[in-house]
Amino acid sequence: MEFKVALGPQHPALHEPISLRMTLEGEIIRDADLKLGYNHRGIEKLAESRTFIQNLYLTERICGICSFSHQTCYTQGVEKLMELVPARRGLYIRTLICELERVHSHLLWLGVAGQEAGFESFFMYTWRDREVVMDILDWITGNRVHYSMNTFGGVRRDIDELQKKKILDTLGLLKTRTEYYLNIGASEPTFANRLAGVGKLSKEKAIALCAVGPTLRASGVPMDVRKDDPYAVYDEIPFEVATADSCDVLGRAVVRVKELLESYKIIEFLLKNLPEGPFKVKAPRKVKENEVYSRYEAPRGENVHYIKSNGSDKPERLKVRAPTLANYAATIAMLKNGFIADIPLIFAAIDPCICCAERLVQLDNPRSGESKVLSFSQLRAMANDRYKKINFKKKDSAWPF
Amino acid sequence: MSIKPGIFLPELLRHLFKKPVTVKYPFEKDPVPKDFRGNVVFDPPKCIGCMICVNDCPAEAIDIIRVSETEKKFKMILHNDRCIHCAQCVDSCPTKTYHMDGEFETAVLNRHQLKIEYK
Repeated sequence: MEFKVALGPQHPALHEPISLRMTLEGEIIRDADLKLGYNHRGIEKLAESRTFIQNLYLTERICGICSFSHQTCYTQGVEKLMELVPARRGLYIRTLICELERVHSHLLWLGVAGQEAGFESFFMYTWRDREVVMDILDWITGNRVHYSMNTFGGVRRDIDELQKKKILDTLGLLKTRTEYYLNIGASEPTFANRLAGVGKLSKEKAIALCAVGPTLRASGVPMDVRKDDPYAVYDEIPFEVATADSCDVLGRAVVRVKELLESYKIIEFLLKNLPEGPFKVKAPRKVKENEVYSRYEAPRGENVHYIKSNGSDKPERLKVRAPTLANYAATIAMLKNGFIADIPLIFAAIDPCICCAERLVQLDNPRSGESKVLSFSQLRAMANDRYKKINFKKKDSAWPF
Repeated sequence: MSIKPGIFLPELLRHLFKKPVTVKYPFEKDPVPKDFRGNVVFDPPKCIGCMICVNDCPAEAIDIIRVSETEKKFKMILHNDRCIHCAQCVDSCPTKTYHMDGEFETAVLNRHQLKIEYK
């Protein structure tokens, strides 16, 4: 006996609007399908009507957690288009914020994983430690979420000796706490047993389905843009790519904790080797006609921006491929033959960010199942038609208060 | 790997005797960081009317209007309801006409009160 169950887009078990259609056999998921487009905001189209400088702040607002990832990816792309060599000190500060953002994102994920696994106190304590790194970011950039640190040719604000000392002082606390969590994960039986064996994704399948980030690395593939195609100053920094071989949610948790420990080392290295000199160079306003493909290792995986310029001060096309979108195919494979109770955990394990991934909306006719492509003018005509049909004088339509 | 149930218990118990980290907000205020981006502040005598800020503002929150026919005098209208507090105007201005203050309590009941005029 097979059941078809629809989950989402609005569902208390999911934190973000994902729409799932599942075929169940008892409690086991036999088939799953994903529908996207509930969080589409038209950012790519908006970017075409704004200048390169204005788009800095638009790309930052693609996502809240990895705001710096999108902004840096975009900035690096435009710098390549401008043939601009950014200031060295600026690149070091940029990399520092990248790593601080990775720390806060991974600590956030650990908390979410703890909550989804029913380990609420773990959630509370990782988020307590996340506040420490949020305070550092607040202290050096001025704001907690949208740092607005990037500009073409470097960064917008410098770091002084006092800030450097404060970061190095607080780093020790974060390091001891993260080692403590690694210890908990290894010896607390309830937590490890809940995560182990859930959401299996074999190495071959992870490569075939183009998974990215910690999801891929937890399947034993040491792939990281920071190592494979170094940007900023990652080619000068000694660090290791964290991997795990267990291919399940436990492996993804272990990869993230190991990456946290690597990030602390990177931050320490960057602060100790911070070069002297200017932190930004002057950038031109207009960009030559060209196209570029910019890659960046966001906390969730590989982030890609494609930018095309036409010689003016506005981009002709901006295409954003966020890591969550690349992980969807792997998520479907993970859900298959799993339990229905594991859905929130499996979804949380890819660290989904729906507003990052939604770059397109497809409207199907629910009765006939047909889908078609509509232009903006057609959509506008449809909206006007519908508006004309509404009878505003009808008594029932009055606002009851 | 040795399994120890209840490894989290010491950390949990330690927190029972700790003071809360939150501050009593309306009465006590945390200081804002050095580079905090609060409200935009404009200094009219310095403005040369180059309009770079108007073109660079991502939220279209700045209007610069010439007030005198003969002299180079300008006034600025800030639409603080649209402002995203990115401080790009501070970076773009060639004569350092702009700076950001540390104000963060900007809520009002009517959005028209957020339209600020600097003469």
